Amino acid sequence: MMGLNDRIKETFDKIYAEEELKEKTKKFLSQKTQEYKKDYKKRSIINYPALISAAACLLFLFLGGRWIYLTPTAEISIDINPSIELGVNRFDKVISVDSYNDDGQTLADSLNIKFINYAEAIRRIMENERITDLLSDDEIMTIAVVGSDEKRYAKMLSNIKSYTAGQRNTHCYFADSAEMAAAHEMGLSYGKYKAFLNLQALDPNITPEEIQGMTMREIRDLIASLSKDGEGGPQTENGSCPNSGGGHGNGYGRQRKRKRKNAVTPPAQTHEPNPNTNSKSNK
Amino acid sequence: MRNEQEVNRAVERYSNTIRRLCMVHLKNHADTEDIFQTVFLKYVLSSVSFENEEHEKAWFIRVTINACRDLLKSFFRSRTVPLDEILEQPALLLPDNKEVLEAVLSLPQKYRDVVYLHYYEDYTAPQISRILGKNVNTVYTLLTRSKQMLREKLGGDGLE
Repeated sequence: MMGLNDRIKETFDKIYAEEELKEKTKKFLSQKTQEYKKDYKKRSIINYPALISAAACLLFLFLGGRWIYLTPTAEISIDINPSIELGVNRFDKVISVDSYNDDGQTLADSLNIKFINYAEAIRRIMENERITDLLSDDEIMTIAVVGSDEKRYAKMLSNIKSYTAGQRNTHCYFADSAEMAAAHEMGLSYGKYKAFLNLQALDPNITPEEIQGMTMREIRDLIASLSKDGEGGPQTENGSCPNSGGGHGNGYGRQRKRKRKNAVTPPAQTHEPNPNTNSKSNK
Repeated sequence: MRNEQEVNRAVERYSNTIRRLCMVHLKNHADTEDIFQTVFLKYVLSSVSFENEEHEKAWFIRVTINACRDLLKSFFRSRTVPLDEILEQPALLLPDNKEVLEAVLSLPQKYRDVVYLHYYEDYTAPQISRILGKNVNTVYTLLTRSKQMLREKLGGDGLE
């Protein structure tokens, strides 16, 4: 007699998948496979435009963001010789540091002020050893803020003033973009360009190349000597940012003002009691 | 997704095993068709790469058992039909075969898989434990108990 093990084997051997069942299954799978392939194709076709638009959006955002961040909306020109100009974006970050002479290049290289707030950049410049040495040697520093938004200028200038308040011989003022462009064409920073214009009015033979290597103190002394022809001699500026109230200037106006002030000094003396006049009026 | 050639080869190779597992678990032919479609569609869409034929066969057994269990959980499937209705070709079965099949199918669900896998497919207890995801000792216990029950039902002591 057959063992139970063999009986189980023989029984299950007689159970098998019918051909009809296999064919039905194959047909079903073939149908499903076609459907999946069609769906996959559809998905691929739909995906291309979506992918392109997504890529275009990303590119637009990237380029737009880059443009917004890396476009300077204001410039800060700092002249003492070294001369450097800081490009400031709409988020008040310094995005470029340009130099207009070798000294400026050395200073620009030594400063690490890119992508930080302009006020912090000015503070670092003012604390730079070379700058503090020059200022203590009685050199003159001019800081010009150039841009097109007056409200923003005023705020920037006021911030800059707060960092230069402790410095003698430092002048801050507004400037306009057209003048800045003209200065760049001559290869000068804005502060030197304004000084050059003043100097040129007194001495038409002066060239931008000559100006480039001079310090602001030297230029001012030259202007003073030419304009006054020795009268009064070079003057030392006291206090900071005299022209910060607005308008264009170069710091030289301060000297003129002072000269005018000096010039009106005698009439001031007329305020003192004049016995003759008094006697006339009394009469 | 697997190609048509691969799928046809798998249908030819594993249909009988799946059919026998369906017989052990299910109660009507329509359900068997459902299981065939479910299991092979899973195979078509699966990205599993098999190390060898044994690995592939074990995968089919595991997927079929799980599919049968899922189907049986359904409320609408829990009806019992006579053995003759389950089989498409009952005439091929001898009376002794019918007796053995009825004895196996009368075992509680948890014993049927191990009986089929051990006595027909010749898997060892550790192999069955890996396929079913059960403890080896549990498989040994199930095998011992199912042996006793089958002896009681069919008589004789030919089971090893």
